[in-house]
Formats: sequence, C-alpha cells, structure tokens
Amino acid sequence: MSNLASRRDHDLYILIGLTLVLAAVFAVVFGESMYSARNLRSMAYQMPEFGLLALGMMLAFLIGGIDLSIVAVANTSGIMTALVLTGVWLPGLSGYGVVAAAVATGLTAAVAFGLFNGFLIAKLSASPIIATLGTMTFYSGIGMALTGGKGITGLPSAFTSFGTAEMLGVPVIFVCFVAVAAALSAFLSRTALGRRMYLYGENPLAARFSAIDVERIGFWVYGVIGLLAGMSGHIVISRVNSAKVGYGDAYQLQALLVCVIGGIHPQGGRGKTLGVVCAVILMQMLSSAFTILRFSPYAKKLIWGSMLIVMLGLEYLSAKQNVRRELRQKIVH
Amino acid sequence: MSEGAIQRRRVSATEGILACVVLLYCVMVAAVNPAFLSVETLFDIVRSSSTAVIVGMGLLLVMLSGGIDVSFMSIALFGSYVAAYLMIRLKIDSLAFAFAVSIGLGTTLGLVNALLVNWLNLPPFIITLGTQNLFHGVMTTFISDKTFGAGVMPSVLSKFGSATLFTLKTRQGVMGLTVAVIPMCLSILLTWFIVYRTMTGRGVVAMGNSPESARRAGFNLLKLRLFTYGYIGALAAVMGVVYISQVNAVYPNKLVGNELMIIAGAVIGGVKDTGGRGKILGVILGIAIIYLLNSTLIFLGLSSSWNNFFVGTLLVASVAVTSWQNRRKNRKNLLFME
Amino acid sequence: MSNLVLQAKALSKKFVGVQALDKVSLDIEAGTIHCLAGENGSGKSTFVKTISGIYQPDEGEIVLNGNVYAALTPAHAMREGVQVIYQDLSLFPYMSLAENIALNRLRLDGVKIVDWKEVWRVAKEQTEKIGVDVDLNATAIETSMAGRQIAAICRALSQDARLLFMDEPTAALTRQEVDRLLKVVCELKNNGLSVVFISHKLDEIFRISDNITIFRDGKKVGDFESARLDEKSLAYHMTGRDVRYPRYRREAEAAAAPLLAVKGLSKQGHYHDVSFEIRRGDILGLIGLLGSGRTELAMSLFGLNPPDTGVVAFEGKTARISSPVEAKRLGIALLPEDRGSQGLFRERGIRENITSTLLDRLAVGLRAIDAHREREIAEEGVKKLRIRAPGVETPVGTLSGGNAQKVVVAKWSAANPKLFIMDSPTVGIDIGSKAEIYEMVQSFAKGHMAVLFITDELEELMCNCNRVLVMANHRIIAALDEGDMEQPGAERRIADLIGGSARKEEERGVRI
Repeated sequence: MSNLASRRDHDLYILIGLTLVLAAVFAVVFGESMYSARNLRSMAYQMPEFGLLALGMMLAFLIGGIDLSIVAVANTSGIMTALVLTGVWLPGLSGYGVVAAAVATGLTAAVAFGLFNGFLIAKLSASPIIATLGTMTFYSGIGMALTGGKGITGLPSAFTSFGTAEMLGVPVIFVCFVAVAAALSAFLSRTALGRRMYLYGENPLAARFSAIDVERIGFWVYGVIGLLAGMSGHIVISRVNSAKVGYGDAYQLQALLVCVIGGIHPQGGRGKTLGVVCAVILMQMLSSAFTILRFSPYAKKLIWGSMLIVMLGLEYLSAKQNVRRELRQKIVH
Repeated sequence: MSEGAIQRRRVSATEGILACVVLLYCVMVAAVNPAFLSVETLFDIVRSSSTAVIVGMGLLLVMLSGGIDVSFMSIALFGSYVAAYLMIRLKIDSLAFAFAVSIGLGTTLGLVNALLVNWLNLPPFIITLGTQNLFHGVMTTFISDKTFGAGVMPSVLSKFGSATLFTLKTRQGVMGLTVAVIPMCLSILLTWFIVYRTMTGRGVVAMGNSPESARRAGFNLLKLRLFTYGYIGALAAVMGVVYISQVNAVYPNKLVGNELMIIAGAVIGGVKDTGGRGKILGVILGIAIIYLLNSTLIFLGLSSSWNNFFVGTLLVASVAVTSWQNRRKNRKNLLFME
Repeated sequence: MSNLVLQAKALSKKFVGVQALDKVSLDIEAGTIHCLAGENGSGKSTFVKTISGIYQPDEGEIVLNGNVYAALTPAHAMREGVQVIYQDLSLFPYMSLAENIALNRLRLDGVKIVDWKEVWRVAKEQTEKIGVDVDLNATAIETSMAGRQIAAICRALSQDARLLFMDEPTAALTRQEVDRLLKVVCELKNNGLSVVFISHKLDEIFRISDNITIFRDGKKVGDFESARLDEKSLAYHMTGRDVRYPRYRREAEAAAAPLLAVKGLSKQGHYHDVSFEIRRGDILGLIGLLGSGRTELAMSLFGLNPPDTGVVAFEGKTARISSPVEAKRLGIALLPEDRGSQGLFRERGIRENITSTLLDRLAVGLRAIDAHREREIAEEGVKKLRIRAPGVETPVGTLSGGNAQKVVVAKWSAANPKLFIMDSPTVGIDIGSKAEIYEMVQSFAKGHMAVLFITDELEELMCNCNRVLVMANHRIIAALDEGDMEQPGAERRIADLIGGSARKEEERGVRI
C-alpha cells in the first residue's frame, strides 16, 4: 500500500471517529433531547435536502470545479414543480397525473440548468466560480420572475405526502438520500467513469492527453449536479408544502463546508463519498445541538464560518506534511 | 508617440462595447417611456450606485492581484454597524468618528483575509466565503444584533445621507445630487492613482500577471496581499457608512449577500478573475449597467422581481462570450487549460 | 587585480543527502561568453542559484568584482551586477514590454511613484543599446518568443548587469531567432559584459562561447576552450562514459501498405502542405527545432489541433481525427512533449497512471473496474519498462524524470497502439534511462508498431530512425528514406538541411 493512499484513508477514519466521538459526547451532554425518537426523526427529515446538495457540490469539487448555483437550481426547479402542481401550468390534469407531470417538469428543468452550467464550464471553458455565480443569479431570477417573490402554497397532498411518508418508521426521503449516496459512492470508487472523474479533477490536461473525454464528462457531471439539486428542491417543497425563492440560502455555505470537512479537496481529484456523508451527519448533529441550545442563526453563521477556515487550515497543514513525506521518500529512492 | 500609445491602450474594446450597450439601452428605454430621460432618473441611479462603485474599486484591485473577495459586504456591515452602534451608545455625533472607526475595523478585517489567503494557499473564494460568515457571525453574536431605526440614528449620519451637492429645479420638483459622489469620486481617483502611478499598484498588477515573476522582481507578495485586501476592507468600510447614512437605519442583516451584484459588475466590466487584467472604466460601466437595469425595469413596465433575471442573463452572456473568445485564442496556441 | 568578474572558490552545497556542488571553482573574465554544460542534476543550476544569492554555499567564497562574499543575498548579487534570465523569462504577460523592461530598474531605484515617461525612457535606452527594434507597446503575450527573450535581456541590462546568466535561452526559439539573439549577445560581449549560458545541448551557443565548463554529479569536470571540444568529447565529459547506441533497421517486409498516409495537410500558422507515409515497423524520425511546426503536427494527428485542409488516411481509410478519443479508437497514441503537465497524474500511483488509457477495457459501462486485472497490467508495465519504484502504488510525482517518462510510455504501450507518436521523449532524462527508452521504442517497432519519433537531437535521430523527415519553418523540407539513411554522409546532410533553411531565412531578413 502506498503511503499516500493510506494517509487518505487515515483521514477518513479520523473523520468517522470524530463523528462517533461527537455522537457520544452529545449523548452525555444532551441525552434524551438529542436522541429522542422525535429528534432523530426530525434529523432524518432535515438531512436529505441538504445532503443531496452537498453530494452535488462534492461532484463539482471532484472534477476541480465548484457549483454556486445549486440552491438556486433547487428552488427554481421546486417552483416550476409547484406551478404545475397548483395548476398554473398545464391545467386540467388531476390526481397522480399532475404529480408525475410536475415532477417531470421540475427535474427536467433542474437537469437543463445543470447542463447549461456544464456547457459554460466544459464547452466554453468559463471559470466555474464566475460561470455558476452568473447562473445562480440567472436561475434565481427565473424563479423570481415566475413568482414575483411570493410563495406558492396549497400543494396537493398526493405530492406532499411523499415528504412526510415513512417506511418502517424511517422517512422515505432519508432512504432516498442514503440510496443516492450509496449509488454515487459505488459509482465513483468502482466504475471506469468514476475513475476518469478523479483523473480529470487531478489534472485536466493530462486527462485530455490520455484520451479521456473531459468536455463530455464535465458537461454531464454538471447535469447530474443539477439533478441532485432538483431532487433536493422537490424534497424541500414537499416537506414544507410551499415553494419560494430564497429558501435554504444558508445551504450554499454548508454544502461547501461539508465537502471540505469530508475531505474533498477544493482543487479537485481527491475525496470520498463516505467522507461527505459522514460530514453531513456531523453537521446535522451540530445543527440539532444548536437548535437545542437555541443558538441564533447568527451564532450558527459564526460557527460555520470559523469551521470552514479551521478546516482549510488543517487541510493546508496536512498537505504540507504530505509534501515533506514525499520529499523524504524521493531521497530514499 | 509613446505617451499617446499608453493612453490609447487605456480604453479598449470591452469598454467601448459596454458604453454602446449602455447608450443603446438608454435609447430603448427612452423610446418606450420618455419619462426615463430626466435628471431625476440620473441622480437616482448615481445615488443608488455610488456605494457599489466605491467598493467596486476595491474589488478591482483584489481581482487585479489575482484574488477575489466575497467578504467585503460583511466587512462593510461590520465597520458601519459598529461605528453607528458606538455613536448611539456613547452619544458621539461626528462624521469623522464614524468613518475613522469603520475604516479602522474594515482595514483590520481585510488584513485578516490577506493573512489567511497568504498562509493557507487555497482558493481565496472559499477562504473569504468563510470569513464572510465569520465576520458577520462575530459582529451579530459578540457586538449586537439589534436594528437601529431612523429615530435613533446619529443626526450627522442622517444629514450626510440626505445631503446634496447641488440642487436643480425641474418640473418634477427640486432634485439634488447626493454628496456620496464625493467619496465615490475620491475612491475612483485614489484607485486610479494606486494602480497606474504607484509602485505598489504596479506590484499588485504584476502579482496578478504572475506571482512567481513578481517575487523574482523583488516584490513581497505578503505585503502586496496585505495592501490589496486591506484596501478593499477600507473602501468597504467607507461604503458601509455611506450606505447606512443613505438608508438612515442600521440593520444587522443588510448588505451581506449583495456581494454578487458588485462582482457581477466587475466581471461584466471585463475584469478577469485570473488576475492582471481589468480597467477602472470597465468596472464603472459594468456597475452602471446593473444599476441602470435595476432602476429602469419600472419604465419598461416590469416589476422589480425581474431584476435578477436580467442581471443574470447579462452576466451569463458576458461570461460566455469572453470565455469562448479566450478559449479560441488558447486553442490556436495549443493551450488546453484556461 | 585582473579583470575577473566572478571568482568562485571551492563552492560546496549539500541538500538533504545530496552533494549538489562539490568544491567547484570557476573564473569568469569580463567581456567573455562562457557556457556551463552538464546533464540535468549535474549541479549547474545550483551553481547559478548560489552566485545569484538564492542558495547560500556551505563552504567556499564568491568574489564578485573584487569583493569577497561567504554568502550572498539576491539583493547583494544584483548590486554586484549579477542577473539571471530563467528559462520561463519571468515576464508579466499582460504588461507592455516597456513596463516589463523598466519595472525592475525602477524598483531597484526605490521609486515609489511611477513616472511613465521614465519607464519609456529606460526601455528605449536599453533597446537602442542593443540595437533591436521591438514594439514596446505590445504586451508580452502578444510578442514572439524572441521578442520576449530580447525584453528579458533588456530588463537585465537596465539593472546594470555585468554578469548575465541565461538558462537555455535558445530552447524555445526558431533558428533565425537564435541567430538574432546570438548577434545581440556578441554585441553585449563587445561592450564588456560577461554572458554565461547554461545549456545541455551542443548547438550554436557552444560555437560562440569562448569557454565551456562541464559539470557532472556536482563536480566540475574541467574548463575547455570551445574550439577544442567536439560533440563526442563533450558527450563523453558530460556523461563520464562513451555512449554508443545501436542503430535501428526495419525488419518487416519493405512493400507493406502504409499505416498512416498524410497528404497536403495544412493549418494556418502551424504547418503547411505536409505529406508523408508511415508503415508498420517504421520509426519515422521527425526532426525540427521548437517552433518548426513539429509539435503542432503531432497534436493534429492526435486530434487536438484540427487541420484546415488536407487528407489523413489511416489503414487505407480516410480518417477525421477530431479528438484524442477518436485517435485512441483508431489506435494512435501520443507521448506528449511536456511530461509533467500533459502526461502524468502526479498525485496518483503508477497503477492508476498506467491504466488511465485502458479504463474502457477494464470495465464496461457501470460495471466495476476489474481490480485484479488492473494490478496485473500495471505490474506488467512496471516490469516490461523497467520502472524503478517501490511498488505500483508509488505516486508518480516522487519518481525521477526517467522513471516518470517510462510510466507515460507504459500507459500508452499498454493500450497497444498501432501508431505511437513520441514528442521529444528524452528531454530532461538521464543517460541511462535514455538508452532504455531507445531500446523500448525499437522493440515496439520490431513488434510491428509504427513510431513517429519527434526530436531535435541529431544523435538520437540517427540511431533510432530508419526514415527521417526534416521540418523547418512550418514545412517538411526533406524526406530521407532507408537508402538515404545508409549513405555515409546522412547525418551531415540533415544537419545542413536544418542549418541551411535557417540561413535562407536570415537572408530574407526576418524582423523579430
């Protein structure tokens, strides 16, 4: 085994250990209020919408990009679904027909948004930050123009029941999230396309010269990110029974933070899905703890912001150590 | 000849196209609604965009250096909020005090950004996104998260916010040009002087061109970063004071989140996020277009909820066109990285 | 006191475990052109960095203009007139040449406020001093490589250089640009400046040098008058042994149909009207200097540089190679010129690098990669190409140049290409690995692969290629077949062809 690979696994074990330790500490400190069935369930309800966005951000990070438009995509795709559900668009449908049409509309839009990002970044070589900053404004602008900033309420129960449905006491949306995460994890670590994504993220130029179709991969990866964001948007509207621009703006930062905590390197090519899932759980536990402690949203901002800086600092230190190790290795051989 | 040549290079294609876009758009709006052509509209746009231009100048310097900052609105809020808070608490009614406190704090926070960017050696976007939240969180958690309305605002700030440089009598009534044009013009002139006339400014541009070459030329990159991020911090702080004066209230949650409009203005104005390229006139025109759009939708019979849609379209279009051009040029030179 | 600009006395410098400089003494007189020769890692760069104050020597002294230093700082070195022009030139791409030239001078003067008239005055003064005409208003990125080189020289001169080090200054220049540059350098020498070239190639630089100092393994082998040195003795001194490579001769039947036939291929500004054929078992040499169009042509054949006009036929069928993916599908591989950035995933292990071109073979669609098979392939590659590394998981970033290049070769040879294009495969590689790579290339061709071997070194061309194309000024100016190659004066002929085309260009008077 190489030192480098084992070191990376090492980081992942530390993260898993940290999550477990935190879980134990919270058990002692908060006891019942943290681990009551009610709180566990509410955590399971909150995690998917945010977790899916984080997985999307992870994919962007892995190929050396970033996607700042995920929240905008989620909201606007949710709004489009809500417009169909409430009969503003495609009037005349009823029952499950309207739900199917609505979800199809919303997810198609989400994928289209994602692919448009992919087009700008992969085919026109726009810088990911600037391109998605632009589309973030653009997509949320579409949502705003469609709703005038007002919420769309009164969604049919055939749709909203999905957000509250449970399977053996576990929320269906949570099961969905776990399934998506597991599929992504298997895809990234085992398939040829997953490997190509890592190679692309590590060195896009060498990937191109190795006959890897980087432009096509980049294009479709952003499409998948759009799909994940769209799914998140649907979960949100079915859970809160309304669609509105500006919902979940804080998720943007948290998604970035989760990726950094989860060991996805912001410059691409490194990290594992399991790390992100761990980080999502960690964040959710912290979030719950903050709620129990009645922290203000501002205090949360403070904590998330400082966590991001601290994690970047640790990442930097670990990279520095790594360079030293490589140097030593080089001298030996 | 040489001097003329330098001058010629200062205005390039981007600014020309932007100026044309602004003109054409104005003609179009005026054609739909002649009421648009009035001193009132002009003064209004100047008033609302003055704050953006002030901090936009700081952003230009940061982007010229090859960095980016998304924490400046947080800094602006931090500085101006604390200044106003102290004035209200200690019953100090002095404009100089407001600016001094705000600029002091803003510069300090900017220096924090510079140190982090320099040490962590990671994308400044992610770092400043962290500090954006960190600064805002520190302010609201440890200082105060109360809102101060017009009633308790220090009177100098209220007066400063509504003061005018001169007034014109028009048919709609008496129109005044806001005094905010003074800090705006000062920031433009200062930035021009720094970028084109000082060695530090050339160092910043040099660093944006190539950090390694700048280091070899003897520039101290840490010092340059401290200067650029400190500078945007100071300008953000100035902008914060102008802003709370214009609004005549202090909210703990305004400004933050509006970074995007300024960055959009700079990008539309042709400033490159890869560093070393960007012009003052471009930034001004870029911001002008955005505020023009914002304040003219009404004249076109559209509600303000179309704002983001149009700004987004413009931004995406400009990003698409410039990156495609850049890509084509690179491919010709067999470069496959942008 | 003599007119010595630099006296290095028994300089030693040790880096963790490596003696980079071992008691090196060297004198450089004013108004001379000196050349430091040696292979990569022989200590010549360390020497330059010690003199320019970037490294501090462990032992020894440096005497500059009669002042004795035990160690220098960059500022000290500059004050003594030491200037270094690195290979990347360190210019600012989006600044005007005028500013590029004058900025360092003004900084040196401690200028705080920039006066543009002064900037232009400094820039003009320097360009006039060496008598070249460049557009000072153009940004560096808009300027030709030669123009940039000139700007870098002017920048050094503006800082009162007395001793100018130039690291591989001709590597990126076309032949006529080189002549131009050398003329400038001779002019500098006549004005009393000392110029030190750092080079590992025997070319025109050696011809104009007064003295050549050869480095090997951190030690000075000796000083030589350049007139007394020829190619063979230089190679001998640089490597410490007499190197002879076996000559490749094609064994496959002569009348085989061409694998690749290129007809009238053109791309504006890159290459013009290129036609040639290559058969299985051929190692077709393509010799030309950087900027001759050779890399541009290679990229076109690999789908990265779509040509404007012309026809490419592969295995008898017209092929439109529109992307590397398409090229690979046809069976074309490219070993890129820049190994570090184009060929390798430095943080990844040898295994993942080797299989990066084979992933479609290891797993179809959404099926998992066959880990066992992957490891086998990687281990086979390591064994076959004699890659020296602790294991297949070693990150390639930690490998030496030669071993890293073998990984790139392994990655493509594992894909079993029919045509292997190799662009400058031995740049920056130690002699031992070089020989192994030649051996490999020849065995590929014996195994019925076709190889397009791009190089600018005559020696490796002669020993590896059974046919040769000579490229200059974006055209193929000569094609030598097997018969021509067997002629006794073939090597001389190719050298003259390259040199001749350059001379013709010079007569036409090309402006930089």
